[in-house]
Amino acid sequence: MTDKERTIRIEPVTRLEGHGELTIKLTKAGKVKDVQFNVSSTRFFEKFLEGRFAEEAVRIAPRICGICPEPHHLAATKAVEAAWDITPPPAATKLRRLLINAKQYSSHALHFFALAAPDFLAGPFGDPANRNVVSIIKALPDVGKMALKVMQFGQDLAAAVGGKAIHPVTSIPGGMMNPFSEEKRDEFLKRVAEAKELTLETVSLAKKVVQDYWDPITKLAVVPTYYLGLHNKGDLEIYEGNLRVMDPDGKIVADFKPKDYRKFYGEHVPAHSYATHIYYKPVGYPKGIWRANSLARVNVADKMATPIAQEALQEMRDALGRPIHATFAYHWARIIELVQAVEEIEILLNDPEIVSTDVKLSDVEPKKGEGVGCVEAPRGTLVHNYWTDERGIITKVNMVVATNNNIAGIEKSLFKTAKQVFEQKAHESLNLPDPMIK
Amino acid sequence: MAKIKRIALAQLSSCWGCDQALVDLHLKLLDVLPALDIVYWPAVVDYKLHDLEALPKNSIHIGMVEGSCRTKEDLHLLKVMREKSKILVAWGSCSAYGGVQGLGNQWDLKELLERKFMKADTVTDGRIPDENLPGFTESVIPNPDIVAMDLILPGCPPTSENTLEALVALLDNKPYDLPDKTVCDQCPMEREEKHIVKFRRTYEGKIDPTKCLLDQGYLCLGFATIGLCGAQCPSVGTPCKGCFGPPPSVKDHGAKIISALGAIADMTPEQLEAAFPDPLGSFYFTDYASSYLSKIRDKMRRDEK
Repeated sequence: MTDKERTIRIEPVTRLEGHGELTIKLTKAGKVKDVQFNVSSTRFFEKFLEGRFAEEAVRIAPRICGICPEPHHLAATKAVEAAWDITPPPAATKLRRLLINAKQYSSHALHFFALAAPDFLAGPFGDPANRNVVSIIKALPDVGKMALKVMQFGQDLAAAVGGKAIHPVTSIPGGMMNPFSEEKRDEFLKRVAEAKELTLETVSLAKKVVQDYWDPITKLAVVPTYYLGLHNKGDLEIYEGNLRVMDPDGKIVADFKPKDYRKFYGEHVPAHSYATHIYYKPVGYPKGIWRANSLARVNVADKMATPIAQEALQEMRDALGRPIHATFAYHWARIIELVQAVEEIEILLNDPEIVSTDVKLSDVEPKKGEGVGCVEAPRGTLVHNYWTDERGIITKVNMVVATNNNIAGIEKSLFKTAKQVFEQKAHESLNLPDPMIK
Repeated sequence: MAKIKRIALAQLSSCWGCDQALVDLHLKLLDVLPALDIVYWPAVVDYKLHDLEALPKNSIHIGMVEGSCRTKEDLHLLKVMREKSKILVAWGSCSAYGGVQGLGNQWDLKELLERKFMKADTVTDGRIPDENLPGFTESVIPNPDIVAMDLILPGCPPTSENTLEALVALLDNKPYDLPDKTVCDQCPMEREEKHIVKFRRTYEGKIDPTKCLLDQGYLCLGFATIGLCGAQCPSVGTPCKGCFGPPPSVKDHGAKIISALGAIADMTPEQLEAAFPDPLGSFYFTDYASSYLSKIRDKMRRDEK
């Protein structure tokens, strides 16, 4: 017990893409009074996309996120295609699927190795100076090299399909600017075998982490919420499908076409964050707080779309059930999705149509309309909604970017964890392994 | 390479693509990392702002600043980085020119805030957030107009190799100069005498992947854009949007493009105007904030107040 209230500020939250700070307010008695996740930057894309040629949005919107520009590139393309009533050739859709899976793969690898792994390999009480991927590379060079190779495969493939990996350029309303050459296809077919092997090694490493950290995973930050994610007839899907919402008891309460998102999405503007809190509108805020991203997707999906990923999901469900509310299980779910991404990549590379030259319509006409483009970004469901005039110029934009689906959930997790730490000293009794990096 | 040097990487408002490009050196990172003592890089390393603030003046050998000042927190971080760094690098087009978010300078801050927080179609309870938050800058002003920069490395993002080359030069105390050449100088497409009578939008027709895009009537800005990227976009049959900004000898990217188009195209000014109803978006992709137009608008805004 202290004699006054206390405020703890973590500035900035590190190993996070984006700008965030954390404010924890404690009462005199040491009880947690308030926890705020203060997202401290935003750049107003929804306004400055107005007045642009709609096809230019596919070049502008990727700049929302340098880690996940592919989903923005594709959601923007799909929004314009929906507004202009265009269906791209089937081979273009396959190339886009290859592109988004390449990104899913590299982003998940980056997240696991560079953002998350330091917590587990150095341990939560490790020296902050060593709690980073640079130290992992130095202390565990084999793991470091594996991490770099896995990330590189995804980024190289994204660059091969997208023209460049960071801010891809090849998707356009009506298809893809150019076909995928047989030469490139053959190169990646050769490389995908090694990528698959490294993925399975990553799975083994992740399993060890899960076993070692079973205590915190199952005890800290277990927070029931709603979940949102794309699916294709029940299979986990990241490019196109319907959206499902699952309630905290595991019941699917909504299953809808992305174009109807406004009936189901509410956007609460908190006083303390520039990133808004997206929630399940029919039940209101804060009751309807949902989460997106890997764990949400594996919760709402009946199964994975590929066999090895499905085995991995079954293992997770045998251990933790469905729905899973453990926030730390996001990492596990991410690894399961990493497996699906590499399997999808392999399937697409083996599809003869992937090198088809029929990838772009040449008779696209702009028109006045409204369109929704929805894909799954690594960090959650992404919606771009554009209105265009008869010249195909954007007149209005509404966007729900992936991370905003998680901000309220992150805050809820942090509140729960702060209570466990400050009120119950949970961190003192956790069963933790000996850190691999000291 | 020389002895270990302190480096700090700070992110102002941006997409973090410059960081991703650095990470995309992948195995090549292993050659550079041993030479670096990273004292600040929130994307990767756990040091906090107070750790950076506690460092002595000029104690960081190389400070890399990504992003532009959209918030007052960005302004603070930029100034701290200037104070602590011997060599400060404007890393990427946001840092060099304001970035794509500079297009927001077409509107007053109030309009930007209202669209996002009050009028967005999904918002159920609008307000302008202001609790434990830094507040926004009235407009995006390019970092080099706020603090002195020792090196400007543009790009959206700079390629992995661009950043590596600049870093290696700085670590070895060697100069790093931007080339005064254009994307066209790096572009492999076949060029002919230009007779543009009509501009086509990117979705129109089929692009011949072997021929100059501008010759085919697509607005490819390679002719007015610094040749640093390796002509990545035109090489894959996609028009250059000028995201690296102009070569060093050009002061205003869009003005240069407009004057050049007047010369290249066999079109009347009225026809050109009709072809580009959004000149700011078309001619200033990542550098509107550094244009004379944006600066004049800013001055008018200040004079009104």
